[in-house]
Amino acid sequence: MKPKLKIVSSRQRPADARAILEVEGLSKGFATNGAGEILVLNKVEFTVRKGEMVCIVGRSGCGKSTLLNILAGFTFPDRGRVRLRGRPVDRPAPDRCVVFQEDALFPWLTVRENIAFGLKTHSMSRRDKEREVDRFLALVGLTDFGGYLPSEISGGMKQRVALARVLILQPEVLLMDEPFAALDAQTREEMQDLLLHLWAKLTHSIVFVTHDVGEAVLLADRVLLFENAPGRVKEEIAIDLPRPREKDTGRYYALCRAITSKMKRV
Amino acid sequence: MKRSHDSDAWAHRALGGGLPVLLLVLWLAASETGMVAPYLLPHPKDVLATAASYVFGHGGQAGFAGRFVDDFSASIARVMLGFGLAVLVGLPLGILSGRLALVNRLLGTTINALRAVPGISWLPLALVWFGIGLKTTVFLVALAAFFPIYLNAEAGARQVNPTLLRAGAMMGVRRLRGTFAILLPAAMPNIITGLRLGLGISWAYLVLGELTGVPNGLGAMIMDARMLGRIDVIVVGIIFIAVIGRLCDVGLHQALRLAFKSARRLP
Repeated sequence: MKPKLKIVSSRQRPADARAILEVEGLSKGFATNGAGEILVLNKVEFTVRKGEMVCIVGRSGCGKSTLLNILAGFTFPDRGRVRLRGRPVDRPAPDRCVVFQEDALFPWLTVRENIAFGLKTHSMSRRDKEREVDRFLALVGLTDFGGYLPSEISGGMKQRVALARVLILQPEVLLMDEPFAALDAQTREEMQDLLLHLWAKLTHSIVFVTHDVGEAVLLADRVLLFENAPGRVKEEIAIDLPRPREKDTGRYYALCRAITSKMKRV
Repeated sequence: MKRSHDSDAWAHRALGGGLPVLLLVLWLAASETGMVAPYLLPHPKDVLATAASYVFGHGGQAGFAGRFVDDFSASIARVMLGFGLAVLVGLPLGILSGRLALVNRLLGTTINALRAVPGISWLPLALVWFGIGLKTTVFLVALAAFFPIYLNAEAGARQVNPTLLRAGAMMGVRRLRGTFAILLPAAMPNIITGLRLGLGISWAYLVLGELTGVPNGLGAMIMDARMLGRIDVIVVGIIFIAVIGRLCDVGLHQALRLAFKSARRLP
């Protein structure tokens, strides 16, 4: 079944109608101790258009992370395929970058060196690289923290660095695996604002995995509701709230309630 | 603020010297009061005099006068050769074995079996293979230093957070560069531990190798002193090996910190 895409008139940042990421019939199982093989993904299908933000919502253990690992090229599906701009995804590459949930910065490099890491192999002049790093330090609001080590900054700042180090590589799709789940509520809101701000400025698509329905409604153009064990796209919900979105509106709450009740039935 | 921090750091460092000073005082007290007979443990001032003659004396004055430079340079050359060989072989094998299950399978059993063999049991064999002298000593040192270097490099490489390697891969880092840009720095704390243990044990096995009748070296000097019944010289030898071993450890650690960001910045 091809997902039906609802065209949303109120989107202020119209996504290119072309699908750049195509996921077709993705299935994957894992061998377990004693219980034989369990299926974590079952015929997962969806597409992501250029510049679109898609949130995948589901309870823990519904295969969201496995899906993201396949999209990133870290693991491979048993059946089905993933294509980016028509080319099959078969290994990790900078056109699909991940912001991990956990702290995955290189602890022996400063904030600045972490952000510059992916540029090392680029054939850019040293000065251009420095300028680019400066630009992204500023974009994530860390201009004064370039010389700090990851162990010296807060969790929120670490995730800012994690964002900057991949956005600097201009990925086509940004893959985010519950990146703000470990942050406190206030920092999480700041990071959501920052993510939306950067997304408006740069032209990447985002696949954002979360179990927080409120977060999904705040961020997404489309929400993919994931069914539990085995993971499958149960339903697709277009979020047609105008941007910038406010959290304390009736429409926001209505959407959250609707998705939450659907999740319970899943 | 800065000042008090500095003085704290100094106090902290000085703490390490406390125990040697205490031991020296106890030794002095034991010798002065006659609790310990000089033929068991000579008086500190006699040992000091022997040490001075050993370092600054001229040959011909006494048996051990002025031998220091010759002994020291012979010993340090053997340690460096043996330790260097152990690093050259142990570090790459350890890293490979920590990352590749196949290499681990291939080497693990053999290395862990050999590890159980006490170094001293190799001595007779080494003497048959290499004869008395440089080669035997270097062989023993390399063999002994290999195990801690290999095992710690292996543990370090195995324990590297896989997310760091994934992060590198997605940022376009290929395997070879990833090894140097991610794997080695991430494993650095373990690698340093292995190198320091390896260098420490190098000195221990140096003395073992030099006990077998080589003409020079700190171990040879201790052996000569034993035959001549010069307890004071033995004590000087022990103290010198302790001091030089400690200096080598500090020097190695500082050199690594100077050369590698990860050695400086990781705890």
